[in-house]
Amino acid sequence: MSQYAMVIDLDRCVGCHACAIACRAEWKVPTEEGYRRNWVKRIGPEKTPYGISYTFFPGLCNHCDHPVCVDVCPVDPEERTFTDFRTGKKTRMEIKATYKDPFTGAVLIAKERCIGCGACVEACPYHARYLDETLDEPKADKCTFCYERLAHGEEPACVKTCIADARIFGDLSDRNSRVYKLVHKEGAKRLESDVVKIGPNVYWKGKKKDLHALFKNYAPRERTWEEVDNMSRRGFLAGLARKTSLKG
Amino acid sequence: MKRREFLKFSTASCMALAAMELGGGKAFFRPAKAMASGELPGSLGAKEVYSVCEMCFWRCPIVAKVKGGKLVKIEGNPKSPANGKRVCARGNSGVQLLYDPDRVKYPMKRTGARGEGKWARISWDEALDEVAYNMKKVRKKYGPHALAYFDHGASAEFMRGLFMHMGTENYSNEPAFFQCVGPVAEAFISSMGYLVSGTRQYTDMGHAKAILLVGSHIGENVHVSHVREYIQGLANGAKLVVVDPRFSAPANKADVWLPIRPGTDTALLLAWINYVIQHKLYDKDFVANHCEGFEAVKEGVKDYTLEWAARICDLKVADMEAAIRMLAKAAPNVTIHPGRHSTWYGRGDVQRHRALAILNGLLGAVAVPGGLYLPTPVKTGKSECPECEAEVEEPDTSLKDDFPYAGNFPGNPTAKIIEATLTGEPYPIKLWGVNGVNILQTIPNPYDTMEAIKKLDFIFTESMMADEAAMWADIVLPGATYLERYDSLHTYDGITPYLAVRQPAVEPLFESKSSYWIARELAKRLGVDCYPCEHEVEYIEEELKGAGLTLEKLNRMGGIVSYKANPYRSRKELKLPTESGKVNLAVAHYEDDDFDPVPKFEPTPAPPKGYARLIYGRVPVHTFSRTMNNLWLHNEWPENHAWVNDEVAAKLGIADGDTIVLENQDGKRSLEVKAKVTPGIRPDAIYLPHGFGSRSKRLTRAYGKGASDQFLITHYENCPFTGASSHRTSFVRIVKGGKALDIPELRPLPREIPRFKKSA
Repeated sequence: MSQYAMVIDLDRCVGCHACAIACRAEWKVPTEEGYRRNWVKRIGPEKTPYGISYTFFPGLCNHCDHPVCVDVCPVDPEERTFTDFRTGKKTRMEIKATYKDPFTGAVLIAKERCIGCGACVEACPYHARYLDETLDEPKADKCTFCYERLAHGEEPACVKTCIADARIFGDLSDRNSRVYKLVHKEGAKRLESDVVKIGPNVYWKGKKKDLHALFKNYAPRERTWEEVDNMSRRGFLAGLARKTSLKG
Repeated sequence: MKRREFLKFSTASCMALAAMELGGGKAFFRPAKAMASGELPGSLGAKEVYSVCEMCFWRCPIVAKVKGGKLVKIEGNPKSPANGKRVCARGNSGVQLLYDPDRVKYPMKRTGARGEGKWARISWDEALDEVAYNMKKVRKKYGPHALAYFDHGASAEFMRGLFMHMGTENYSNEPAFFQCVGPVAEAFISSMGYLVSGTRQYTDMGHAKAILLVGSHIGENVHVSHVREYIQGLANGAKLVVVDPRFSAPANKADVWLPIRPGTDTALLLAWINYVIQHKLYDKDFVANHCEGFEAVKEGVKDYTLEWAARICDLKVADMEAAIRMLAKAAPNVTIHPGRHSTWYGRGDVQRHRALAILNGLLGAVAVPGGLYLPTPVKTGKSECPECEAEVEEPDTSLKDDFPYAGNFPGNPTAKIIEATLTGEPYPIKLWGVNGVNILQTIPNPYDTMEAIKKLDFIFTESMMADEAAMWADIVLPGATYLERYDSLHTYDGITPYLAVRQPAVEPLFESKSSYWIARELAKRLGVDCYPCEHEVEYIEEELKGAGLTLEKLNRMGGIVSYKANPYRSRKELKLPTESGKVNLAVAHYEDDDFDPVPKFEPTPAPPKGYARLIYGRVPVHTFSRTMNNLWLHNEWPENHAWVNDEVAAKLGIADGDTIVLENQDGKRSLEVKAKVTPGIRPDAIYLPHGFGSRSKRLTRAYGKGASDQFLITHYENCPFTGASSHRTSFVRIVKGGKALDIPELRPLPREIPRFKKSA
């Protein structure tokens, strides 16, 4: 199975925010506070054990191996056919509103199934999702690795615009890909902690001091999804809503 | 509906929602559908228009993506050898300049007092008639030099021709020269014979083995091709030395960061020059065959030791030595970056950049990969159409007279134009035109500028946004953005030469008009023979003819034509455009004007007790002071922060994020700004990113956000060579909770450096 992934090279990144804006432009992300699929946070200058660091946290959805956002989605599963845009191969699987794409490993949202409950938004330890409340019916939204652009042979918008070529996108299951080399041979790192290990597929590469500052400031340290243990209640509510609508 | 409310859902409300859904005739969960047919999402499937960016002056080739007559996205032109498919944050945000609800939509006439920003909508005819009437009247009553024009960028070029045609010497082509690159331009013209660092930047960082940046903060200032070359150089393994009182973004990437005492850079450079000579690290062949004045330099710098400079600059000898060895080892493939923004201290600015030029020469880093390179001009045709030039009339006393090298460059020092407007000496200036530049956020001492404006008979601006400069205008003309108009051909003569042309992505919105149309209409009313072409496309075609192209052909080719570069020369064929064809290590003709042919260290006065030096720079998402209101850019970076050294902050009881006010040596106070407490700045400096703290209420997003550096720069000195104004000669202390706090002096000042004293 393929797993699309991104590596961000902090040694190349100049913190210009082009990625964040290109994403907004491409997907009309609401500009009100708190809405972003893709962001740049500045870190420092601050002291680290390896010297002073002034670096960046260019972040996005990590398209995790074990996406807790998918786990917590309370929507009833429904079977659906998926097509690989590269090979045309088809497969069927059950999805809730948010799911992990069987062909690219991208974590996606079936917008028409999303009930806007916000469980996934709360569960994401990376704060990579938002609930778009500018819509008449709020829906969860986040980075899709520009799935639609990929399907049309385009790169993700952030990768395309990156002025320093600091974002490298590709298939981590392909041993010849650049992302494979960067991850498996050049030590690009996932933003994880001992407590939060859900297999993110975005990696950061950089100097020791910069990675130290990045992890110190932004590695998630709380299992946010444990707080939404009342999943069953939500599932019940969603199910109830569905039954009602069917009966009506 | 708020998410929280949903989480608190009762069964009843759940049913209500379901019923509502049913009312719409849809099931609560609609079946999954493949990607909607018809319109593609995002920018996919958009119509593409090739053009050239003007979110900053660097002008990257772009592709504007248009759907249903609306611009939806901007990407780089993949055929561009400079930026390719990429544009920076600002380039991406051109969409929001076009659709900014705060745009100037119609011609407007002032109704309140000057500076109040109260206007009434008028017709184009009325507006143009009024501007023309006043230009003619002022010219007749006071002579041609009573007209002055402040301009920047492509939007201002046509009207500049018109002002020149009226005979005035007071166009300021551009304030950027006198507020930015003037001293570096002069230093390198005298040393190398050509404009190494003006609008363009001929530094081959992409092939460098080492790079020196003095005060330059590439990445925080963004010119896409420049950043790309710099990053490519670093990725290839180039060593990086950064000299900056602040731990800037490039300082983070540096092998050596030298946190220098502000104002002492020339001491460091002269000590390095001496070190290179004493330790025979210079390129002997290059110096012997391609340089003039080596002996004079050797003699001139012999007393400047690293030990001496260490005390002056507050640096460690070992770090300084490691840095110069690193740079010399890479010679000749070393970028001694000439710098861009060079108007720091007034007096020593040209000589500081001369010292950089000398290092370039000594290390043989000229016309070689990784060093300075030579431009490759792109040939175009000449069109009669846009010609609007006339002999500028000579005034009896020119505003340039005090500055012997100002004559090498077009226009007059802005500080002198403002002074003459204020005093009427040596001649009165009574009318200002402003275009493409927010003069109150750009030129030091805006308080003087505002007073000067009060003395004018008339002032008008051509504006896209009602910035501070527009607020003071009698007439505001709504200019079309770069996305709504054609402009002259854009040729790039850098390391990847190309030709492209700006073309409109959409029709001008509201009543805005292209700068060509405005200049042409004004010319008609002034009765001057300018801009005979009915439409700009006519002369663009003429220009393209000279390059063997038509607009249609250029578009068919992808909107851009690239050429082969010729940036390097073999040592045998190298001939620089100086008189001797060689690098002037010493500039003999400086002596004629009582300047030193070899730079000397002249101390820049240090902050008065209790103050720190105000330094400033760029943030990567904004251009000058002109993009703070852009919706996307504003949300990325709405306000600036004042950087305060952590030890200073601890002594003053200031915490990170505290709201403070800065007060300068003349008692001028900034708007409120948040403190950024960091070890990344020296204790004797406070850093404020440039361009924030807007005072125009008509910029609804930017108004009052952050603090303006320019409104704190009330003291400046003029570069004795060019007349450029200094911008790092003001000092601040911190006001917190209404109480002014003195900055403790944590780095004692050496005796050689005097303190700043207010002149009476």
